[in-house]
Amino acid sequence: MTTIALIGQPNCGKSTLFNQIAGYKSLAANFPGATVTYTKGTTYIDNELVEVIDLPGTYSLSWYDDAEKETVKALFSMDIDVIVNIIDASMLIRSVELTIELMSLEKPMVVALNMMDEASKKGIEIDVQKLEDILGIKVVPIVAKKGKGIKELLASIKQAKKPRKRCVYKKEAEEKITDLSKCMAENLKDTQWPLKLLSIKAIEGFEPCEKAVMETSCAEMLTKIKKDLDDGMVIINQRHALCMNIFEQSSQVKKTRKKSVESYFDDILMHPIFGYIAMIAIFAGIFYTVFQGGVPIENLVMGLFGDIDSYLSLVIHNQLAFLIAKGAVDGIGAATGIALPYLLPFLFIISFLEDVGYLPRIAYLMDSTMHKMGIHGTSVIPFVAGYGCSVPAIMATRILKSKKEKYITAFLASIVPCSARTTVIMGLAGYFLGYWYVIGLYAFNLLVVLISGMILKKLLPGISPEMIIDIPPYRLPSIKTLLLKTWQKVKDFVYLAVPMLIIGSVILTLISYYHLDIYINDIFKPILHDFLGLPSALGVVLIFGILKKELTLIMLYQALGLSSIAMVSSVMTHTQMLTFTVFVIFYIPCVATIAAINREIGIKGSVFITVGTTVLALVIAYMTKIIFLAL
Amino acid sequence: MRLTEAETNKTYRVVAIEGGCHAKDRLIKLGLLPGVEIQVKRKAPLRGPFMVTLNDSDIVIGRGIASKIEVRPVV
Repeated sequence: MTTIALIGQPNCGKSTLFNQIAGYKSLAANFPGATVTYTKGTTYIDNELVEVIDLPGTYSLSWYDDAEKETVKALFSMDIDVIVNIIDASMLIRSVELTIELMSLEKPMVVALNMMDEASKKGIEIDVQKLEDILGIKVVPIVAKKGKGIKELLASIKQAKKPRKRCVYKKEAEEKITDLSKCMAENLKDTQWPLKLLSIKAIEGFEPCEKAVMETSCAEMLTKIKKDLDDGMVIINQRHALCMNIFEQSSQVKKTRKKSVESYFDDILMHPIFGYIAMIAIFAGIFYTVFQGGVPIENLVMGLFGDIDSYLSLVIHNQLAFLIAKGAVDGIGAATGIALPYLLPFLFIISFLEDVGYLPRIAYLMDSTMHKMGIHGTSVIPFVAGYGCSVPAIMATRILKSKKEKYITAFLASIVPCSARTTVIMGLAGYFLGYWYVIGLYAFNLLVVLISGMILKKLLPGISPEMIIDIPPYRLPSIKTLLLKTWQKVKDFVYLAVPMLIIGSVILTLISYYHLDIYINDIFKPILHDFLGLPSALGVVLIFGILKKELTLIMLYQALGLSSIAMVSSVMTHTQMLTFTVFVIFYIPCVATIAAINREIGIKGSVFITVGTTVLALVIAYMTKIIFLAL
Repeated sequence: MRLTEAETNKTYRVVAIEGGCHAKDRLIKLGLLPGVEIQVKRKAPLRGPFMVTLNDSDIVIGRGIASKIEVRPVV
């Protein structure tokens, strides 16, 4: 099977193109680095099945973060037949840098020139034919968002040729590069890097490449070449000059006097004062809408499942069979009661913010605050994602550069209340104590995040390099893309959480049927009852909460032996409810999150975060108890 | 002078970039390299980052990185 790889710089519309070609499986976001793992898909070109791989965006083949490293590794290790290089027409100079690097791989290649509409908005008109002639590669203009030019692109992929050889650098530099790659050919046998590219990167001082050369007998040669070529600046400048030249020859720029839409929006959204006000207003608005709108839907869903329960009690007469059926129904009810009213709308809005291009602007605003926690503005993406679900939040730490930054961000993102924990906040604190408590809990959570971050910054060794981030233009995403993206995010919840909820709910019913809960609760009694002053029946609830936080609320009233959530106030005091809510917000991340942490920052990190959050939860919950009992 | 001392909405030419290898590489990839003209569009408050405009795009860079970029005003 023919394999084609889509490669482009972040934000060039690569994932959108992938969705157009291979059917709605890849994520697109107007945030640099949205695709953190590569996605595979298949499509037909003239009745022939081809495999399409969407690689994370990369500015060049010398990586800066783990997401880019992934791309380069995949590119070299996979058997790729055709490279499709997607170029953002409105940023031609920068994009062509990557194109030139890709050309040195000497594989059949096609350039997809995307976002021509944005280019012309900027006053840039590109002569496609001329660009094609200069590059020596087939160039196909497309509008990925609208699916324009896709047919032509697929046809050209089939006939893709290797790029015509061309000299990128001046004779002197070119000779030196050739010398070094010849030397490396004799000395280095085991590498996936094309030797010419390896040599260029080594001269430019890209660490992994430089190291590879320095370990061979070509080390001396490299040192000399670097000295001759001003530490590689000579070739960097020559390549940049070539890119400028390509741009000037193929494009005409009309200076538009008109102030762009971006600057109008940015004048407010990135304003030193109004920017923050706007940001707080936007997020407050989102939470208010989602949860105000969500409560009636949740009640409706819960009512419906309550009716099913009472129907079951009439139909099934065997006590055990009834309990199992009720457990299963309640599990589905809990899942629907969270996903439908809260998770779905929230993820939809987050997708919208991503695609519109607002998130990098928050990164700019929040950078200096983030510095106090030893991280940078870039970390806002995991944080914001964390309010939906912790798993994608942890996955997003891949766009961060240093280990320290990843560690801190993963820790903090996992104590941000996800939508499952939000239902506990809403269901307990919101329902019984009032909405001011909900706002208070969110503000308190942010305060804990800030303080924890400041402590972690001191505790963890290492430095965090600073932020360099691309500010994309505002883009209006299509509803179709947004829905697909929301589905992509909600899918994990449906496939992983729903079975877990049903099984968990059934097991809990069985545990109480056979009176096993007494033993479990006895183990946790010293902590829950004696230390936090909570009913010891909650031990089981918290254990299941580790499996899935969504279970917490429904299991709470089941474990207390109540028929509905509204009766909780008859057995729990307000202080107990608040203590319990606080504990649930901060304690151990759910199993899926722990697995994600394990994958992103290793076993040590996941143990550290699990233990750390538990200690944090115990301390804060205890303080809550003491303070509110004193009031 | 350093980019940190630059005034907003004035044009400067990059003279040199010192400092961390990686940051330098990324800056070059984004088109910020010696010889290029740039403008500081915005500065975030509280010692926050800088938003600079290059020939075809806007990028945000941390203040620490900005302090390592040597610029000269274009007259």
